[in-house]
Amino acid sequence: MTATVTPASARPSSPAAARGVLRVFAGHRGRLLCAGTAVALVLGAVFLGGGGWPASLVADPSGPLDRAGDWIVDNRDGHPLFLYFLGHISNAVVVSVRAVYLALLALGWAGVTAAAGLVAWRVAGVRLALTSVAAIAVCGLLGMWVPTLQTLALMVVAVAASVLLGGLLGLTAGLSDRMGRILRPVLDTMQVLPAFAYLLPVVLVFGIGVPAAVLATVVYAAPPMARLTALGLRGADAGVMEAVASLGATGRQRLLTARLPLARKELLLGLSQSIMMALGMAVIASVIGAGGLGDRVYQALASVDVGAALAAGVPIVLLAVVLDRVTGAAGERLGAAPARRAGTGWAVALVVTAVVAGAGRLSGRLSWPDGWTVDIAEPVNGAVDWMTAHLYSGVPLVGGTADWAARFTTWVLNPLRDGLQWLPWWAVLLTVGALALLIGTWRTATTAVLAMAAIGALGVWDPALDTLSQVLAAVAVTLVLGFALGVAAARSTRLGRVLRPVLDVFQTLPQFVYLIPVVALFGVGRAPAVAAAVVYALPAVVRITAQGVLAVDPAALESSRSLGATGRQQLFQVQLPLARPALLLAVNQGVVLVLAVVVIGGLVGGGALGYDAVFGLAQGDLATGLVAGAAIVCLGLALDRVTQPTERRDLARKGA
Amino acid sequence: MTTTPHTAPPRDATESVFSVRDLWKVFGPKAERVPADPELGALGATELRERTGCTAAVRDVSFDVRKGEVFVVMGLSGSGKSTLVRCLTRLIEPTSGTIAIDGEDVLSMDSGRLRELRRHRAAMVFQHFGLLPHRTVLDNVAYGLEIQGVGRGERRERAAEFVTKVGLDGMEHRRPSQLSGGQRQRVGLARALAVDPEVLLFDEPFSALDPLIRRDMQEEVVRLHREEGRTMVFITHDLNEALKLGDRIALMRDGRVVQLGTPEEIVGEPADEYVRDFVRDVPREQVLTVRSAMRPALAGEYEAGPALAPTATVHEAIEAVARTGANARIVEDGRCLGVVDHAGLLGVVAGVPVTTGRAVA
Repeated sequence: MTATVTPASARPSSPAAARGVLRVFAGHRGRLLCAGTAVALVLGAVFLGGGGWPASLVADPSGPLDRAGDWIVDNRDGHPLFLYFLGHISNAVVVSVRAVYLALLALGWAGVTAAAGLVAWRVAGVRLALTSVAAIAVCGLLGMWVPTLQTLALMVVAVAASVLLGGLLGLTAGLSDRMGRILRPVLDTMQVLPAFAYLLPVVLVFGIGVPAAVLATVVYAAPPMARLTALGLRGADAGVMEAVASLGATGRQRLLTARLPLARKELLLGLSQSIMMALGMAVIASVIGAGGLGDRVYQALASVDVGAALAAGVPIVLLAVVLDRVTGAAGERLGAAPARRAGTGWAVALVVTAVVAGAGRLSGRLSWPDGWTVDIAEPVNGAVDWMTAHLYSGVPLVGGTADWAARFTTWVLNPLRDGLQWLPWWAVLLTVGALALLIGTWRTATTAVLAMAAIGALGVWDPALDTLSQVLAAVAVTLVLGFALGVAAARSTRLGRVLRPVLDVFQTLPQFVYLIPVVALFGVGRAPAVAAAVVYALPAVVRITAQGVLAVDPAALESSRSLGATGRQQLFQVQLPLARPALLLAVNQGVVLVLAVVVIGGLVGGGALGYDAVFGLAQGDLATGLVAGAAIVCLGLALDRVTQPTERRDLARKGA
Repeated sequence: MTTTPHTAPPRDATESVFSVRDLWKVFGPKAERVPADPELGALGATELRERTGCTAAVRDVSFDVRKGEVFVVMGLSGSGKSTLVRCLTRLIEPTSGTIAIDGEDVLSMDSGRLRELRRHRAAMVFQHFGLLPHRTVLDNVAYGLEIQGVGRGERRERAAEFVTKVGLDGMEHRRPSQLSGGQRQRVGLARALAVDPEVLLFDEPFSALDPLIRRDMQEEVVRLHREEGRTMVFITHDLNEALKLGDRIALMRDGRVVQLGTPEEIVGEPADEYVRDFVRDVPREQVLTVRSAMRPALAGEYEAGPALAPTATVHEAIEAVARTGANARIVEDGRCLGVVDHAGLLGVVAGVPVTTGRAVA
């Protein structure tokens, strides 16, 4: 139809010939790709036939994996590798978590509350100190004192280890160009993988228990610290570094007195991100024996006891919000005013904590008083029962939540899954490749296709496509809602102001807690998993979209207004096209975040890869679990690469 | 200290602090072949980049900085002046040539000796200040001493002294972000002064400041130089600043020094069209001395009219002549060297050669 009219020939007045050529190429590129794909599809249909992944191409790894698992179980107590290396790590982790936990217990509830409040007061001010005290008190009130302490103990150890590990990695990556080049893609990839994928390898080596949970948390939480450390060290003001060198500083002095202090904002941001990631993982790691709050949620969800899940979920939310706010406030205060009496302030905090803890000890009340708890499980379950009775189905006109879930499953998820599974395997690979090529480069396309092929070779083609169908459905819903909300928030300052605090809170919550409300509303199944994924990914998409639209050059907007463009024309002809990089980033983030939660959805009946992984962990069937885990990694890689915009396209866009 | 072999101290180095000979700095792949090959060295910037992929920032520069003078290197952006000053303490490693400080070869120094040079002998003030944002004013000023390993109490005491000296009393505990641009540069100046260096290097220190503050800071530098007589190397792109501060000026263009001389020589006898063009708008009467407008005294002129020193500017002579209505005498040690009259003075202002002839060349 319009194949003869390329964007370039439609606008022949292009100023620079080179740009025109680039644009013609960019314009034709899509068409060429589509044509090539179509031809390949026809050829494939003729020569390769239909059907799922062919059995002859499956390299079933479960045999060797089972043997490896058995070998590890057999040798855990005898082999030197375990005796002299892994065993020590494991013991060190257990001992340190235990030590922190006992220390917290010894402080007593009064001491812990006082310490939390005073630390928050020192780093973030009075308001956040009160918030922290209130949050800790609520944890106790809900009867979650001991699990909260368990989670805190695990996090303290994990954060300390990941800051150390990430900091060291970041230091080498920041100071050595070669290490930087090697580490960057690794860290980038680690950040797009779902948290769930980290659990299985550590379980294989350490077995289920606290060491595995802590190490998974460390591995998950270290990359942001490493990335930001390297970023901060590399970003040091060249002028300052030169001045320091001109005064005759040694390499050591340059690092300690200039480069590191200059990077302190990034270092603190890295710490803050590590803490948030660690909280998220410490909760999820309940699946591999982390104990604490996450375990309570996990157990409650397993028996669909929403009340109990909520009682453990609320402390998680409060911890997340308080930790995020306190570290954020610390970052803002950094370098604002010279802290004159910092030492005195900290001394006061220390003394008050000691006094309160001592008083608590003397009065013999170390654990949270039993009488001071409020049982919310019963009333919440009552409310959920009421909802089940009245809102699940049969509400006039709108139908019930369970009806919606069922309809979504029947009309969207099932056709999507069946359609994907009906597609010939080579057609899926071809589509993935073509899409990746359209958005990215040959390299991203190759990685994506290879990752998809690896899933087939692992023998989990069908469940992976099931997961993929849930991801696609969730991403579609997320993007429609997210773009609409984001654009609205960018265009209306009032809406933006209202949305911001909501987004702030939602972005800090661990993935796990999103499962609680969706189970309450929609029961179990694939639709709730999708709903949780949408809710989890939405804030990021809204925020990136809004920022992208707001960042559009005001001069471009003004000139279009001066030409008499309507609001609609401004949006579609100026703001959205110029915000394209942000929108692509939003898609990429949306996909990555959605996958992370869809996989966890295996815990609430989402089935597919997530269920395989959980099943493998629960039954000790490591082969199944690891294969599912590997497939999740591959799916994550493929989805990230397909949606990853690259610099080359940026250049092309600048030219156009 | 180790006795470093003085690899051929270039010519007469007795009076000069820095002695630079045949200095080249070429950026790019295999840079060392450019100064080695006279043919490549003679190429223009564009041709050189096309042929070799290299950029020559400093080309075959030689000069001496004498003890106690203010030596100004002046040129437009991209003329290589900032690269040149960084080569002096090897913040940028020169490609070829020799640099000597007090007769000691800088390029053959090992890293320890070089640190010693940077710590004690040459301190630098930067265009963008280069202050540490996380430290107070006092700790920034003390930073150079801290690096040298001076104890906390002593370095703070000395730093406080220099904070006062640059007029930042009462701001010791502020952070750089709480200061104005001029105040920040005062901190940079105090930091350089605090280490008591033999030479102060200024890299366009006042370019980022607005004009009034810039004038204040220039006067500050003049004052410091008058009080302490410290040797200074001053980089600037501002001709007026160069003329105001410089005892001698090296004018750079495309990496080469096109003229080196006193302000009066630069303005009065431009070496080529480029320099002539450059100094065209300079108020000549404020730079040139009465010598350039002087003619031999006629009989009867030896006693009459106002007396001026030979270092007086033409501007001052015009004032004297206009006020008294008589020709002014140029007197040195009670001896009359010559006379300036209306025609001579106007000739200088107009940039036209004085036709009455000169007594002193």
